[in-house]
Amino acid sequence: MFRLIKVTGESLSPSYREGDYVVVTTIPFLLRRVKAGDRIVFQNELYGLMIKQVKEIDYEEGKVYVVGSHPYSVDSRHFGAIERQDVTGKVIWHIPRRKV
Amino acid sequence: MIYQLISAMDKRLGFERASAHCDVPCGIYDPSTAQIAALTVVRMMDLIADLESKGNPHDAAYHNTLGRYVTVKEEHAEKAKHEVRVIWGDYIKAQHIEKHPGVHNLVHQIMMLGSKSRQTTDREAAVQLVEAINQFAEIFWDTKGVATKRAKAPYNPPLELVYPAL
Repeated sequence: MFRLIKVTGESLSPSYREGDYVVVTTIPFLLRRVKAGDRIVFQNELYGLMIKQVKEIDYEEGKVYVVGSHPYSVDSRHFGAIERQDVTGKVIWHIPRRKV
Repeated sequence: MIYQLISAMDKRLGFERASAHCDVPCGIYDPSTAQIAALTVVRMMDLIADLESKGNPHDAAYHNTLGRYVTVKEEHAEKAKHEVRVIWGDYIKAQHIEKHPGVHNLVHQIMMLGSKSRQTTDREAAVQLVEAINQFAEIFWDTKGVATKRAKAPYNPPLELVYPAL
């Protein structure tokens, strides 16, 4: 229902930094309501569990386009849109290491 | 306060990690690391075969040496796969694929041969791994506009490798 996850990497900086924690919900009802601007966690074949921001959703195709805020972010610009079913959590609480 | 509390819990329980992955585009890619790693796999297979023919399987030193050869074979087969994956995933772009449409199949073949080289002591599979990575190197250098040449490695095993003709 809820998972506590530590962020690694800086692709969502400056909002989310390496070492921050996030609480995500895994409730399917809420995952179906993911929208642009939400931060989500999802499984990627190559990189494992990732956290990114939703840029847009193609509801018909069931695809989610995710991005980071860092210019060198590895995201949908590299690996394409992800499948909606690969979204495993939506961030509901951000616990930063330092005050943002 | 909350952060410190969660961090302390994390140290005890080990929470999951989610990667906000960034790739600093250093632009330095070179298939030679993969080629040398694949060649090392063949070398380890040769050493294993040599040990098998000459060594005493009841001797602790035999097992120690065999273990070391197998470990190096494992590491370098995985290294070859890793290096090819990085170039394929991070460097190869749509325009390269358009020019070399067989690159995906070739990379998949390299992954399969790399795995077989880890799982077995099938020298032929390892030699095929070297050749497949040679072909990958030729594609890579072509994308850079650099001509290549083939020459035998100046050490054992003296298999043919692709080098940039700089």
